[in-house]
Amino acid sequence: MELPENLNKDSNGYESAEKIILRWDSTASEDARERMIFETDRQEADLYLQAVDEIQRSLSNVSISTSSNAGKNANAVDDQSKVNTTIQIAMARLEDEFRNILITHSSALETDSLFDPSSSSISTPSHHELEEDDTLSNDDSSHHDLLQLQLQHCESSDSSTYRSTSSIREVDLMPSEAICDLQAIAMRMISSGYLRECIQVYGSVRKSAIDSSFRKLGIEKLSIGDVQRLEWEALESKIRRWIRAAKVCVRILFASEKKLCEQIFECVGTDIDDACFMETVKGPAIQLFNFAEAISISRRSPEKLFKILDLHDALMDLLPDIEAVFDSKSSDSIRVQAAEILSRLAEAARGILSEFESAVLREPSRVPVPGGTIHPLTRYVMNYISLISDYKQTLIELIISKPSTGSRYSGDQTTPDMEFAELEGKTPLALHLIWIIVVLQFNLDGKSKHYRDASLAHLFIMNNVHYIVQKVKGSPELREMIGDDYLRKLTGKFRQAATSYQRATWVSVLYCLRDEGLHVSGSFSSGVSKSALRERFKTFNAMFEEVHRTQATWLIPDTQLREELRISISEKLIPAYRSFLGRFRSHIESGRHPENYIKYSVEDLETAVLDFFEGYPVSQHLRKRSQ
Amino acid sequence: MPATDYQASFLGRISIRRNQVIAMDGNHEQELQDLELFSKHVSERFAELLSSPDDIPFDALLSISWLRKLLDFFLCCEAEFKGILMMGNDPSQISKPPLDRLIPEFLDRSVKALDVCNAVTNGLESVRHYQKLAEIVVSALEQKPIGDGQSRRAKKALTSLMSAMNVDDKECSAAKATERSWSFSRRGVSSKDRVPEHFRSVSNQVAKNWSAAKQIQAMTNNLVPPRGAEGSGLASPVYTMSVIMVFVMWALVAAIPCQERNGLSAIHFPAPKQLNWAQSIIGLHEKIGEEWKKKEKKGTAGLLDEMQKMEKLGNILMDFTDSFQFHGDITDQKAEEAAARAAELAETCRRMEEGLLPLQMQIREVFHRIVKTRTELLNALDQVGKSSPPLL
Repeated sequence: MELPENLNKDSNGYESAEKIILRWDSTASEDARERMIFETDRQEADLYLQAVDEIQRSLSNVSISTSSNAGKNANAVDDQSKVNTTIQIAMARLEDEFRNILITHSSALETDSLFDPSSSSISTPSHHELEEDDTLSNDDSSHHDLLQLQLQHCESSDSSTYRSTSSIREVDLMPSEAICDLQAIAMRMISSGYLRECIQVYGSVRKSAIDSSFRKLGIEKLSIGDVQRLEWEALESKIRRWIRAAKVCVRILFASEKKLCEQIFECVGTDIDDACFMETVKGPAIQLFNFAEAISISRRSPEKLFKILDLHDALMDLLPDIEAVFDSKSSDSIRVQAAEILSRLAEAARGILSEFESAVLREPSRVPVPGGTIHPLTRYVMNYISLISDYKQTLIELIISKPSTGSRYSGDQTTPDMEFAELEGKTPLALHLIWIIVVLQFNLDGKSKHYRDASLAHLFIMNNVHYIVQKVKGSPELREMIGDDYLRKLTGKFRQAATSYQRATWVSVLYCLRDEGLHVSGSFSSGVSKSALRERFKTFNAMFEEVHRTQATWLIPDTQLREELRISISEKLIPAYRSFLGRFRSHIESGRHPENYIKYSVEDLETAVLDFFEGYPVSQHLRKRSQ
Repeated sequence: MPATDYQASFLGRISIRRNQVIAMDGNHEQELQDLELFSKHVSERFAELLSSPDDIPFDALLSISWLRKLLDFFLCCEAEFKGILMMGNDPSQISKPPLDRLIPEFLDRSVKALDVCNAVTNGLESVRHYQKLAEIVVSALEQKPIGDGQSRRAKKALTSLMSAMNVDDKECSAAKATERSWSFSRRGVSSKDRVPEHFRSVSNQVAKNWSAAKQIQAMTNNLVPPRGAEGSGLASPVYTMSVIMVFVMWALVAAIPCQERNGLSAIHFPAPKQLNWAQSIIGLHEKIGEEWKKKEKKGTAGLLDEMQKMEKLGNILMDFTDSFQFHGDITDQKAEEAAARAAELAETCRRMEEGLLPLQMQIREVFHRIVKTRTELLNALDQVGKSSPPLL
C-alpha cells in the first residue's frame, strides 16, 4: 500500500470528517432530511464545515498521489473515488443548506419605509393636469389651488418615514450572520468545483424574492398589446406608479442585491458575483423596462405629451444609477435597452408636438361658438402651451428643429406661413410655440367665417386673440419665449378686430344720426324735412333695438375688455345722439305722436349700452326703464 | 366608312395608346419591378431555409443557427418591404381602400409580434437555464474515470434538467399562472413537500393570461390574399409581409418555450399554394407542424434542435447514471459511450453558449425594426389626417 504519508497521518481526521458528512447525507437518512445543520446550532455548522475542509484537503492529497503513481494503484483510484463521493454528498448537503438559509432570509423588501410618496408630487409641473377652465376668472385661481394642494401633500408626508430615493442607497437584505454562513458555504462549493450549482440556487431563490418585491411595488406584467389597449388615463396612473417603483428598484433593490452578491462571494472574485447578480436581476430588470418601452412606442396623441415627458425625465435621472448598478459586460443589454427607451421617449415627445400642431391646424369644428366667446380650442391650446412652458427645461433640450411651416410663396391656402427673419435668435422650442399660436389664429380665422353676422365674427376674433394675449402675459416663461415683439403683434390684432367690429355694427346706426339729407333747401324756418326726420328716428330706433337685442346676448368674457368696448361705443354713440336730439327734437315734438319717434333719452341709451356683451338676453322694455 | 371617319378613329386610337404609354412611365415600371423582385427574394430565401439539410447538424431545422438565418431573412424581407411601401409616390394611398383597412390590420399584427418577441426572449432565458444545468452534467461526467460521486452529481443535475424541460412545458400548456409562492417560514415541512427548487425555471416575465398560441392565431385574423384588382398595388406586399411575419413568430414559438402554446399546430396558414413565393413557407409550416404534433403528446419544452438533442442525450445519460447507481460496475464500453454522449452534450452546450446571446440580440433587432416601421406608418397615417382622434 503506497498511500502517501500525510494521508496516513490524517486518516483519523479524514475518517471522522467522513463520518460527519455521511451522517448528514439527506439521501440516506430521514433525520438528516428533516433537520438543517445551519439552523441547529453554530457548533454543528462549524463542525460540518471543518469536515468539508478536511475532505477537500484529502482530495487534493489523493489527486497528487494518484497522478504521481500514474493511475497504477487501484486503491488510490478507489480512494479518490470514495473521496469524490463524499465530496458530492457534502456538496449536495451544502447546496440544500445554502438554499435554506437563503429562503429563510429572503422576503420582499419592506417598501413602506423605503420611499417617500411625496417624492412624486414635488412642486414641479409633473402633475399639472391639463384642464379646461370653465370661466376665465377661475383660470388663475384653479391653478393656484392645485399648487396649494400639492404643497400641502408634500408637507404632510414629510413624517418620520421620509426617506429619499434620489440616489443609490443599499440596504441590508440579510443579517450579517446569514451572510457569513452563506459566504462560508459558497467558498467550499466553489473550491470543490460546484460553482454552477451555487449560482443556480442563489439565482432562483433571490429571483423569487425580487418577484415578491416587484409585486409589492405594484409592478405589473403588462404586454405591449395591453398597454396599447388601455385608456390613457389609466396609463397615466400606471406611469406615475412605475416612476416611483423604478427609482426604488434601481437605487435600492438592485443596488442592494448587487451588494449582497459582493458580500457573499467576496472571497472568490468579481466575475462570480457579477454572474450571480445578473442571474438574479436580469429578468426582473427587463420586465421593469418593458413597461416603459411599451409606453414609448404607443400611438402619439397630444394629451400624452406631459406624462411622456415625466417618464423621460425620470429615466434620464435614473440613467447614471442604471449605469452604476449594471456596470459589467454581461449587463450591456440592460444599459442599452434603457438608453433606447430614453431615445424613443424623446422621439415620441417630438412627434407628439408635431402631431399637436397639425391637429390644431386641422381642428375641424364648424359650429360657431354662441355669443362669439372664447372657443374651447383656444382654451385647450393656450393651456397646453402654458404647460409646455412649464416643461421648458426638458423640452428645450429635446426640441431641436424648427416647425415645418407653410412657405410664403407656396400659395397653399391651407397652411399659414411664418416669417422667420424677425424671429432670429429664438430657440426652436420658442419657434414652435409661436407657430402654434399662428396656427391657432389661422384656424380661428377660418371658424370666424361661419358667423353670418360680420360683427360677431370680429368680436369672436377679438375675444380669442385677447385671451391668447392674456395667457401669454400670465406666464413669465411663456412670455419670455414668445417675446414682446410678437405679443405686440397679437395685441394689435385684437384691437384691430375691435375696430372692425365697431365699424361693422355702428357705422350704419350712426348714419341715421347724420345731418345731411335732413335740411330742405329754401326757406329758413322749416329747414328740416319732417318726414325724413321721422324716418331717421324710426330707423335709428329699430336699428338700435335690433343691435341691442342681438348684442346683449353676445359675450366678452374679459371684464376689462367688455368695459373698454362699451365705453368706446358710448363715446361715439352718446354724443352723436345727444347732438341729434338737441338739434331736431323740437321738430318732432311739435308734430303728432312724438313718442313714436323719440323713444329713448340719452340716459336710456347709456343704460342700454351696459347690456351689451353680457351674454344673456334682455327684455325689450327699454321704454319702461326710461319712464 | 368615309375616309375622314376612319382617319379620325385611327388617330384617336393612337392618341389613346400614347396616353397609356405615358401613364406607364418610369415610376410605375419601377414599382412593378420592385414588387416582382420582392416576391422573388422571398421565394428564394425560404426555399433555402426549407432545403437546409438535416444531416448537417449545424443548420438543422429549428436549430439556433437556422433560427438566426430565419431572422436574418426576415430582416432582409422587411427592409425590402419598407422600401416598397415608403417609396410610393402618393402618400395618401395608404388612406384609401384597400390599404385603409389593410394597414391598420398590419399594424395590429405588428404589435402582437412585438409581444411574441418579448415572450420568446423570456423563453430564451429558460433555454439558458437548461444550458447551465447541462453544463453541470458535462462537468461531472468529464472527469475520468467516472466515479460514483460524479455520477450522482450528474444524476442530480440531469433530474433537474429533465424536470425543468418538462415542467416548463406543462406549465406552459396548462395555462396556469406560473407564479410560485415561496414559503419563507421556518422549516418544519416534511420531506415530500420539499420540491427541489431548481425544477422551477426562470421567473416568468410574461403577463398572466397571455397565450402565445392565441396571439399568433389572432395574428392570422383577416389575413387573406388580396383578390383581383386589389392584388396590383401595395396590398400584395402587405399581405406577403404579413404572412412572413406570422410564420417567423410561429416558428420561434414552436422552437422556444413560451407561455401557453396549446393548439399551435392547429394554426393554419392563409397562404394559397398557387402563390409562388409561399410554397416554401407552406412547406416549412407543414414540416414543423408535424414535428410539433409528434412532440405535443410527449410534452417537451419546444422544438429547438439543441434542446431536442439535450433531451435525447439527457435520457441516455440518465439511464447511465441510474445503472451506475444501482449496478455499481460499469463496463468500459458503457463508460466510453457515456463519455461520448457527454461530449456531444458539451458540444450542444457550446453551441448554445455561442448562439443564444446573438439570437437574443437578433430578436431585439427584429423588435426594433417592427417598431420603426410601425412608427413610420403611423406618422404617415397622421399626415393624411386619418388616424388621430379629434383634438377636442
